[in-house]
Amino acid sequence: MSEELLTAAAGEDPAAGLRAVRSLHALADRLEALHVERARRLGWSWQQVAAALGVTRQAVHKKYGKRFG
Amino acid sequence: MFERFTQEARAAVIGAQEVARRLRSDRIGSEHVLLGALGTRDSVAARALARTGVEPAAVEAAVRALPPHPIDPDALAGIGIDLDAVRTRVERTFGPGALDRPAPDDPADRGRRRPAGHIPFDGAAKKMLEVALREALRLQHRRIDTGHLLLAVVRLDDTPAHRALLAVGLDPDTLRTAVIATWAAPAEA
Repeated sequence: MSEELLTAAAGEDPAAGLRAVRSLHALADRLEALHVERARRLGWSWQQVAAALGVTRQAVHKKYGKRFG
Repeated sequence: MFERFTQEARAAVIGAQEVARRLRSDRIGSEHVLLGALGTRDSVAARALARTGVEPAAVEAAVRALPPHPIDPDALAGIGIDLDAVRTRVERTFGPGALDRPAPDDPADRGRRRPAGHIPFDGAAKKMLEVALREALRLQHRRIDTGHLLLAVVRLDDTPAHRALLAVGLDPDTLRTAVIATWAAPAEA
């Protein structure tokens, strides 16, 4: 691990750490949407998608049902 | 590096800060520098744009329509994540631009307030200033003006500023030609 990485991971600067966390959330949200859409297109059930994401079927359907129903 | 900037290029950078604040951004992005350059009266950038027949207001509308981009490559690099590497793999499966479409709902974007005080440049904006400097060196110009800033936008095709130009239907080559023609033409009074 590089010195830079260790410094950032240690979270010396709260602003940098929080920005990284926000970016991770946004990146994860984007990836989730892409994969859910693809899984549904490939014929996955909401139950299967939910199980893979570790959430309830209701949660995943509420979030994506309208778009990738 | 600003000591080599012309008066109008400095005004453009100050304008960029105001634009970023007006658009409620907590970073000065390349798109804000672009609007700062175009919004500076009689600047090389403003005159070059006028030559293309595109209205500055159209560019601003395009910037406002850009998808919100809370994924900050610099911040991710800070924790060891190479966003470009992620992007390359994601696009292999999902096609070009897959990561750039807005996420369904970014809670972090809700209720954001107008930032006060000093706003830092983001990575793309810093790159844009750097490339503007390089363009000036390449052309053997002693000073950096808003024309060089536009050439930097033309060159940096992965920036929001570049995407805004494409969104208004402005061909990068046309803009480059317009900048060069503006330099060659005497400034209007």
